[in-house]
Amino acid sequence: MCENEDNIITVGKYVIIKKQNFKKIYKVATNGTLMLGRDTVQMHEIIGKPFWTTFEMIPVKEGKRTYFLKEVLETESLNDLLNKLPSGNDNRTIVDDGTSQKLSKEEILRLQESGKTGKEIVGSLIENNKSFLDRTEYSQEKYLKKKEQKYLRYITIWKPNISLLHDVYFQLDHNKIGNLRMDSLSQLLSYSDVQSDGLYMLYDSGSHGMSAAAILNRIGSNTEGHLINLHPGNVPQLALVNAMNFPREQLDKLINVNIYSFLRLYHQGESAVLDKISKKVHNNCINKIKENKGKNDDESLVNNEIPQIEEIDMKEENLNNINESNDKVEHSTNGSLKRKRDESDIHEAAEVTVAKKPKWLMETQDAVKLVKGSKARGLVIVAKEHPLNIVTALLPFLGFSRPFVIYHAHREPLQETYMTLKQKQSVINLRLLSNFLRSYQVLPDRTHPDILTSDTGGYLLSGYLVQ
Amino acid sequence: MSFNKVKEFIEEGDVIILYLGHNDMHSLEIKAKIPNKNGKMVDNVFQTKYGALKVFSLVGHKYGTKKKLSRGWAYVLQPTPELWTLTVPHRTQIIYSPDISLIIHLMDLIPGSIVIETGTGSGSLSHALIRVIRPHGHLYTFDFHEQRINIAQAEFERHGLSKFVTSSHKDVCIEGFGKELETKADAIFLDLPHPWLAIDYAVSTLKKSGGKLCSFSPCIEQVQRTCAKLISKGFIELNTYECLQREVHVQYKNLPILNLECLQYENVDKDMAQENEKQEVKLLTAMHARSLPGHTGFVTIATLPPFHVRKME
Ligand SMILES: C[S@@+](CC[C@H](N)C(=O)[O-])C[C@H]1O[C@@H](n2cnc3c(N)ncnc32)[C@H](O)[C@@H]1O
Repeated sequence: MCENEDNIITVGKYVIIKKQNFKKIYKVATNGTLMLGRDTVQMHEIIGKPFWTTFEMIPVKEGKRTYFLKEVLETESLNDLLNKLPSGNDNRTIVDDGTSQKLSKEEILRLQESGKTGKEIVGSLIENNKSFLDRTEYSQEKYLKKKEQKYLRYITIWKPNISLLHDVYFQLDHNKIGNLRMDSLSQLLSYSDVQSDGLYMLYDSGSHGMSAAAILNRIGSNTEGHLINLHPGNVPQLALVNAMNFPREQLDKLINVNIYSFLRLYHQGESAVLDKISKKVHNNCINKIKENKGKNDDESLVNNEIPQIEEIDMKEENLNNINESNDKVEHSTNGSLKRKRDESDIHEAAEVTVAKKPKWLMETQDAVKLVKGSKARGLVIVAKEHPLNIVTALLPFLGFSRPFVIYHAHREPLQETYMTLKQKQSVINLRLLSNFLRSYQVLPDRTHPDILTSDTGGYLLSGYLVQ
Repeated sequence: MSFNKVKEFIEEGDVIILYLGHNDMHSLEIKAKIPNKNGKMVDNVFQTKYGALKVFSLVGHKYGTKKKLSRGWAYVLQPTPELWTLTVPHRTQIIYSPDISLIIHLMDLIPGSIVIETGTGSGSLSHALIRVIRPHGHLYTFDFHEQRINIAQAEFERHGLSKFVTSSHKDVCIEGFGKELETKADAIFLDLPHPWLAIDYAVSTLKKSGGKLCSFSPCIEQVQRTCAKLISKGFIELNTYECLQREVHVQYKNLPILNLECLQYENVDKDMAQENEKQEVKLLTAMHARSLPGHTGFVTIATLPPFHVRKME
C-alpha cells in the first residue's frame, strides 16, 4: 500500500491514543512514555507506523504496570466468551450483596500482573461470578463491555482532527475549553461565516486554542484566509492549535496578538506601544513568567509535552506582556533556582528590546496592517470577561453586512450586551440562543436517550453589522 | 453571484437578503423584469409592509445599509448560507442551521473535502456544504426528483457556486453514486426516507483511507435500521444526536415589590403600606418562546476505517 507522509506517525506529531472508550492526546517523542491511569506505556513502537494501527500493551516484566507496545492485526473481543453460556430471563433471583465475585481484589490484581491476556482475566472473572449465568443476555453484554474497558489492553492511534480533539477535552475537562460544547462550537463557525478566504477576527480568553484551531481548520491550507487571534494575556493559549499538526503555511495564517497591544498600536501608533514597554518590561516579565508557571500546571490533559512547548513559546514572546491590570511589582517567592532562571529571562528580554523589534510587536503590526487593508468577514468572541467592551472595541473592524457571534457561559452578560447593541442601532438580527444537545443509545429494541447529558451548552449572541 | 465573495455594492444578477424585521426576511434577485403569472415580463417590484420596492433600484446600493421605502426602511444584506436557509423557497422539508452546523462538525469537513449529499431537496444544506469545502473541494449532490435537481442547479449557477458542485438526477438507493466516484469521497451525507438502502454504495464510494457517513432522519426507527446496517458494513464509532436550538427574547421587566414587613408595625404615616406597593424593580431578563421546534431530526455519525483495518460481518 502506498502511504502518504501525512498518514505516518512521526516524531513531533500529535496523535490521539484510543483505548476502548478512552482517548488521550499524545505528542510523539523519541523515547516517549504515556500514562494511562496507573499504567505506564512505552510509546516508541508507534513511530513510523501508519495511523489507525492497533497495538497491544504487553507488560515489560511480570508484576509491573509498565508496558511496551506490539503491533497487532487481530484484536480479541470478549463477545465469543458469551456464545456458549446460558443466561437468565430476568433478574428476579439476583441479589446484589457484593459477594457474587468469588475472586478477591488481590487475586484479580495478581491475575493482571501475571501477564494473562485481558480475555483470560475476564474469563476467570466470569467463571468465578456466581450470578453471571443468571443475568439476562443484555446484562451479560453490559458486564462484558465494562470489563473490556478495564482489562483489554489494545490501543489504536488516530490522527487528530477538530471533532476528536474537542471530544477528548470535553469528556475530560470541559472547563478547559470554556465549556464550549460541540453544538455551540459548530454554531460559532457557522454564524461567523468562516470559510477559506477573508479575514476573521477572534477574541478568545480561555479555550486552550479550541476556537482558534477550529477557525483555522475551516480557513484551510493553501487558501486566502487569515485569522487574527486576540487574547488578553501574555501568551496565547495554543495547545489545541498545536495538536492539529497544521502545516507551517496554514499556521502562518494565524496571527496571535494581545488585544491591548493591538488596539493601542491601531489607535495610537508604534511610539505609544514602545513607551509602554520600556516602563513595564521589568515588572511584567516577572509577573508573566509566574503566570505561565501557573498555567503550565494546568495542562495535564495533554501528555507533558505541551507545557514544554509553551515554555519555548513563552521565551520567544517574552516581551508581549502588556498586562494592564497588573501593574504592581511582584517578586517571585519560588526557590532560588527558578528565580535565577527568571532573571536570565528578563535579561534576554531586555536585550531583545535594544537589539531589534520584538516578535510580538512585529506580529501586532502585521495584524494592524491586515485590518487596515480589509474589513473582517466575520468576528467571533469567546469570552470569560464581560463581552460588551470587547465587542464594542472590535465591531469597527467588521465589514458591513457581516456577521458576528459571541459565546458566553452565562446569559446575563449577553443580555446586557444585547440591550446596548440594540440601542446603538448598528446591528440587526440580534439573537440570543441556547442549545439543547443529547445523544442516544441506539440498539435493537433498546434505543433511548443516554442517561447523562451535558447541560452546559452556554449561550450565543449573534447578529449582523449594518451602517 | 453574491455567494462566492464579499461584495461592497449590489450589482445586477446578485441575490440579496431584504431584512424587514427579525422574522421577516426575503431573498430577491436583482433583475429589472420578472415573469408574472401569465409568463409576461413585468417590472420587478416587491411588496413589503413598508411599501413597494423596485428591486432593480438596488443596483449600486451598498450592502449592509438602509434602503428607504415609502412607509419605512429595510436593510439589504449579502446572503450567507444561514440567511439563505431562512429565506430559501421550500421545495421540500429543509435542514436548518443548528443541525447543519453539527453535521458539518461531525463530518470533519474542511476546504478540500470531497462530499456527497443526497437528496438535494431545497439546497439548504448544500449551500453550507459548499462554503466549507471551497475552494479545493467539491460537492456531489443527488436527488431522484428531476425538477428539484434542475432548480438547485440553476440556483448554484445564479449564486456563482457551480464550480464547486455537481448535481445529478439519480435514485441513489438503486443506482448508487456512480462508478466515477468510487473511492473518492471523504464524507457522505444522507437525508433520505430509507438511508440504509444507500449504505452499500456508500462503502465503495468512501476513500480507501476511510471517511465519515452522516445520516439525518426524523424517526427513530430509521435511525435503528441505519445503525444496524452501518455496523454490519464495518462502520465504527456510531453516535446519534439530537440538537435543539432555542432563542430567548431579551427584555426589561418591571417587577412590583410588595412591602409586607411594615404591616407588622403600627403605621406612623397612614398611607405607608400602599405607598410601598408602588415600588418596582427593573429587571433585565429573557423570556422563552411559547413554542419552539421540539424535534427536527436525529443526526447519526459513523466512521469507516481505512480499507486495511475494516471488519465486515
Ligand atoms: C428532506 S429532502 C432533503 C432536504 C435537504 N437536506 C435540504 O436541506 O434542503 C429529501 C430529498 O431526498 C430526495 N430523495 C428521496 N429518496 C431518494 C433517493 N432514493 N435517491 C435520491 N433522492 C432521493 C427527495 O426527492 C427529496 O428532495
